[in-house]
Amino acid sequence: MNSLERISAAINMQDPDRVPVIAQVFGHAGIVSGASLSEYVRSGELLAACQMKALKRYEYDAVFALMDVCVETEALGSSLTYRTHQYPAVTFHAFSKDTNLESLSIPDPREAGRMPELLKAAKILRTELGDDVLVVGCVLGPMTLATQLVGMKEALYMAIDDSEGFARLLNFCTDVLIRFGTAQVEAGAHLPIVFEPSGSPAVIPFQFFREFVLPCLTRLFHHLKGAGSLANWLHIAGPAGSILPFYEQAGVDIANFDFCVDPKDAQKALPRTCLDGNIKPLDFVEEPPETIARESTRLMNLFADRRGFILSSGCEIPPEARPENIAAMVSAARKTR
Amino acid sequence: MHPSTTNLVDALLEGDQSRAVSETRQLRKEGLPIERIVTEGIEVAMNRLDDKCTVEQFNLLEIMLVGRATMAVIRELYPSGGSPPATKGIVVLCSLEGDIHDLGKGILEIVLMAKGYRVSDCGKDCAVDRLIDRAETDKATAICVSGLITSVIPQVKRIRDLCGRRGLTGVKLLAGGAALKQASAQSLNVDFVAETAFDGARFLDRFEKEGVAS
Repeated sequence: MNSLERISAAINMQDPDRVPVIAQVFGHAGIVSGASLSEYVRSGELLAACQMKALKRYEYDAVFALMDVCVETEALGSSLTYRTHQYPAVTFHAFSKDTNLESLSIPDPREAGRMPELLKAAKILRTELGDDVLVVGCVLGPMTLATQLVGMKEALYMAIDDSEGFARLLNFCTDVLIRFGTAQVEAGAHLPIVFEPSGSPAVIPFQFFREFVLPCLTRLFHHLKGAGSLANWLHIAGPAGSILPFYEQAGVDIANFDFCVDPKDAQKALPRTCLDGNIKPLDFVEEPPETIARESTRLMNLFADRRGFILSSGCEIPPEARPENIAAMVSAARKTR
Repeated sequence: MHPSTTNLVDALLEGDQSRAVSETRQLRKEGLPIERIVTEGIEVAMNRLDDKCTVEQFNLLEIMLVGRATMAVIRELYPSGGSPPATKGIVVLCSLEGDIHDLGKGILEIVLMAKGYRVSDCGKDCAVDRLIDRAETDKATAICVSGLITSVIPQVKRIRDLCGRRGLTGVKLLAGGAALKQASAQSLNVDFVAETAFDGARFLDRFEKEGVAS
């Protein structure tokens, strides 16, 4: 099996030839290639070249055309600050609670902000890798885009003080994400991962997730699948246990679970869904490779009888991670052949 | 507890800022001193929220709504911009250099202030040296650092040594935030890693009670 076939088998709860392994290597790919983070997140060509080098070095099963969590909000008019060794951050939010959404148009991914660069990265990676290795794009979840557009504090207050207005904002965000995600699939990504950290129960109660976020995620995934996405991959970090049971309703095919979620609870909540996780991200920086190898083996044993598992970290592997730790995780998976 | 403060506590816990302010006005009209509104209203509400917010049930939205209502009541009680008188130690807090996230830090500030601490906020993107300067100037009993990105960890590890060089050996060091709480207190070289803002406040309260931090 090649990487794509291996992952497809896991998604379909079938037996792969070995446990697939996806290292959530984003900015780290730039760092190990000698590029600064600020360069990495602004050039699709550089990003793709760094992802290819990292793939060659680590030999995992997926690459990422993924920049940071500010791409969409920048395309809609937010101002960012770029620092050499940090991901960009929003310095001015484009929207406020009083923004008239009716007057706004959905940004064109071919020309808005860094969206074209991300599409370029997806296209290059797919051209290079064809259907051998999974090429993953990225869109935010609607709740996360809303918080990136108006600011976390304002978004949460708006959700309570003007729930109808907030629901309209979430719907607008969903429209933006459908268009951007569709463009990524058209550019060559096998699927865009949906990053929804602001949908975490650490941020909002699960009832809020169910009432406000779930309908938008369901709509987003429905459209992405319709556009040709291989699978719907949802990534919500933190203690997501209470919202996992809603994933199936949203149409999720791959569910990321963070280090603070018990793998057995995740299995129980999602018996028919492929899971990926959940090594603690900081361990890739602080621990020796033996710890990563041990944790990888423990996880693979926990999932041995289930199928439907992709060995991964619980969230992004920090850019400053020790390369030997990523190699240790991949090596542990490759030994299961 | 004054019987009427029950309504204020309920309004605060529901995050209803306009009702909390009108209950506060009513209590003042009844002649209840400001100090008692703080101790029997705000502090009681914070303690109830603390009991309710376990690690599994801690969510930002609920805490922020209570925090907003609390700040509205404080503004009502101290219209000239003051804060409740400190009955406990002085806590310096910041997000370290490179980290521009400050929501978690803001929540900790409200929780500590409502629990009787004097808070000295160094803001976000704060250099370690500036943090230590402030701790020295303010005679801090504790330093709290919040981190959402792992790259600030080397800075956290330096704080104890830098405090030691200034003779600030009795200052308690706390860390929290999504990135830092993945690490142990030992690996960060701090006294405590807090899962939540309330978790951190409880740690400080233990030292207050034992007189260690005073």
